[in-house]
Amino acid sequence: MKLRKIIAGTLSMVMTLSVALGFTACGTKDNSKLVGVAMPTKSSQRWIQDGDNMKKQLEAKGYTVDLQYGEDNIDNQVAQIENMISKGAKVLVVASIDGSALTDVLKKAADANVKVIAYDRLIRNSENVSYYATFDNYKVGVQQATSLVKGLEADTKPGPFNIELFGGSPDDNNAFFFYDGAMSVLQPLIDKGVLVVKSGQTGMDKVSTLRWDAATAQSRMENILSANYTTEKVDGVLSPYDGISIGILSALKSVGYGKGDKEMPIVTGQDAEVASVKSIIAGEQYSTIFKDTRTLAEKAVKMVDAVLSGSEPEVNDTKTYDNGKKVVPSYLCEPVPVDKSNYKQTLIDSGYYKEADLK
Amino acid sequence: MTNFKSFIKNNIRQYAMALALVVIMVLFQIMTGGILFKPLNITNLILQNSYVLILGIGMLLVILTGNVDLSVGSVAAFIGAISAIFMVQMHMPVVIAVVLCLVIGALVGAWQGFWIAYIRIPAFIVTLAGMLVFRGLTMVLLKGQTISPYEESFQAMANGFFLSDVFKVGGLNMIAVITGIILSLVFIFLEYKNIQSMKKYNFETLPLPITIGKTAVIVAAINLLTVSLAAYKGIPIVLILIVALIAIYTFITQKTIAGRHIYALGGNEKAAKLSGIKTKRVMFWVYVNMGLLAALAGLVVAGRLNAATPKAGTNFELDAIAACFIGGASASGGIGTIIGAIIGALVMGVLNNGMSIMGVGIDWQQAIKGLVLLAAVAFDVYTKSKSNAD
Repeated sequence: MKLRKIIAGTLSMVMTLSVALGFTACGTKDNSKLVGVAMPTKSSQRWIQDGDNMKKQLEAKGYTVDLQYGEDNIDNQVAQIENMISKGAKVLVVASIDGSALTDVLKKAADANVKVIAYDRLIRNSENVSYYATFDNYKVGVQQATSLVKGLEADTKPGPFNIELFGGSPDDNNAFFFYDGAMSVLQPLIDKGVLVVKSGQTGMDKVSTLRWDAATAQSRMENILSANYTTEKVDGVLSPYDGISIGILSALKSVGYGKGDKEMPIVTGQDAEVASVKSIIAGEQYSTIFKDTRTLAEKAVKMVDAVLSGSEPEVNDTKTYDNGKKVVPSYLCEPVPVDKSNYKQTLIDSGYYKEADLK
Repeated sequence: MTNFKSFIKNNIRQYAMALALVVIMVLFQIMTGGILFKPLNITNLILQNSYVLILGIGMLLVILTGNVDLSVGSVAAFIGAISAIFMVQMHMPVVIAVVLCLVIGALVGAWQGFWIAYIRIPAFIVTLAGMLVFRGLTMVLLKGQTISPYEESFQAMANGFFLSDVFKVGGLNMIAVITGIILSLVFIFLEYKNIQSMKKYNFETLPLPITIGKTAVIVAAINLLTVSLAAYKGIPIVLILIVALIAIYTFITQKTIAGRHIYALGGNEKAAKLSGIKTKRVMFWVYVNMGLLAALAGLVVAGRLNAATPKAGTNFELDAIAACFIGGASASGGIGTIIGAIIGALVMGVLNNGMSIMGVGIDWQQAIKGLVLLAAVAFDVYTKSKSNAD
C-alpha cells in the first residue's frame, strides 16, 4: 500500500516536471551553433527586452540560443553559465549580476575554448573576457547632470540652486560610473556655489540606494525634505534611474511640490521606462536617459557573429575599461537624453514605444 | 518599597522595550538636532513604517502559533501588481479593486493555510515556497515593468490625511487635537474599568502611584502625537487604519475565545487539542488572516509609491518578523502581544528614519539594525532565564 503510494507520487511528480519543462525545452537541437545568453533578472523591463532582442537577432542569423535569467542571485548565474558550457555553447554573452564573482566560471569557459562577451556590465578580474559591449556609462552620468543643469538653467542664472543627490546600488559597478560622470559636471558648479547640496550628503557612501529600490529612495527623500527643507525649497534632484525617480517624485508630492507656487523640482532618470516617460509627459519628471537596448543587442550579436566566423569584432574603445587583469576591447553605444521636447522623435519615431503605450 | 521592587522585577520584560523605544527616540532627537520630533517627520515616520506595522500584527499571530511566514513580502508585491493591473490598466473602480485585492490576499493565505494546517507541511517550507511562487508570479504579471500612476483616491489611502483642511485653529488641525483628547479619555476609562474588574476578582493590581504615572505617560504620548500631527496636515488615513487594526487585534487576542485559542495552540499544541480546541482550524485562519494583512500592506505600499514595482516588498517578511521578536514574542510560540509587535516595529522605524536623517550609509544601517535585533532578543532570553530561576 505504502509502496504503491510512493510510486504513484513519484510518477505524478515526474509527469508534472516533464510537462513543465516541455514548455521551455523543445527537443534537442544542433549544438554546433549554440550561443549562451546569461541575463541578470526579469524584475526590470530592460533586461527582458535585451534578452528578447538578442535571441531574435541571433536566431535570425541561424544560431541556437540558450537564454537564461539569474534572478539577481550570483550562484544561480554561475550555475547557469556552467550549464551553458557543458551544453556546448561556443560563445557566451554575459550581463553579470556581480561583475567580480565570475572569475572561476570564466576560467572554465576558457578551458572549453568558449569566448565570452561581457554585456552592459563589465566582468572584473578575469583575463578571459574577450569583448565588452556597453553603453557609455560615464557619459550617462554626464548627460543626467547636464540635463539637471539645463532644467535649472544654472548655466545662465546665478542661483544658488538647492539640489540633492541620489546614487545607484553600491554593488553595481555601473552605479559608480553614473555618479562620477554626473559629479564631473556638478562638482565645479558646487565649488562655485551655484549649486548647493543642503543636506550635505554627497559621495556614493552616503547617497547610494540599495538594490535601486524605489521605496528606499522615497524614504530617504522624505527624510532629507523634513530635515533640510522646511523653510527653503529644493530645486533639483539628481536621480540615476527611473525607478528611483518615481520614489523621489512621490516624496516631493507628499509635501506639496507640484501644486500652487511650489514648483516641481527638476528630477532626472535613466532607462526611459514606460511609467517615467508618462511622468515626463505629465510634467513631473524632467528627463531620462534613453539607452536603446536594441542597438546594444545588435552590437553584441555582431560581435558573436564575428567571433564565430573567425573575424575581428568591431570595437571603438581599447583604453577605458580595465577590469583589473586586462583592458577589455569595448564597443560603447551612445545614450540619448530624453525630455518632454524630444520624447516623440527618440522613443516613438524610432519604434521603441508605440504612442498607445504612453497613454 | 519592596512592592515597587517586585513590580519592576515582574514587569521589566513588558516595559523594557517601551522604555528602550523612548530612549532611542530621545537619542535620535538629540543626534538629529531636533528633527526627529518635527511634525512633518512624525508623519513621515508613520507613513514610512506603515507596512511593518500592518504586517507585524499579522506576523505576531503567526509567531504565536510557533511558526513564521516568509511569504508576506512576495504576497504584498503580488497584490500590488494585481491592484495596478485592476486600477491602472483595467480602470476598475477603486473600491471594487481594493476589495477584490483583499479577497485574493485572503485566498493566498487560505492556500498556504491549507497546506500547513491540514496537510501538515511545516510552515517554514510552505511559506518559503510561497515566497518564491508569489515573487515569480509578480514578475509574470508585471513583465519587469513598473506600472503607474494610480488614481488620487487610491493614493490617499496610503499618503492622504483625514479631513486635512477642515476646521483649523491657529494652524492646528482641530480634528487631530480633539481625537487625541477623546482617545485619552477612552484610555483612562478603560484603565479604570480594568482595575475595577481586577479588584472584583481579587487580582493583584499595580500600586496606585505607578498606575497614575503610567496613565499620565501614555496620555501625554497620545496628545503629543496628535498635536504634532495637527501641526502638519492632520491624521494620516493610514494611521487611522493602523490604530483600528491594533484595537481590533488586541481585542481579539486578549478578550475572545478565538484569540486565546491561538495562544493555547502556540503554548502547547497537544494540550490545546486535547482540551477540545480545533487546532487545525485555528492554524488555517491565522494564515488566512496573514494573507489578508499582507494584501493590505501591499496596497498601502503601492499607493504610497504610486506605482507597482517588481521588487516591491523585498525583505518585508524579515522586518515584520524582527519587529515581533524585538517586541518580546517568543520564537517557540505562545508568548507575545500586539502592542509588543507595534513597539518593535516602531523601534525599527525610528532607527531607519533617524539614521537616514543623519545620513548614515545603508551599509551601517543594516549592521546596526541587526545588532539591535540580537540585543533585544538576548535581553529577552536573559530576563526570562532570570525569572525562571526565582
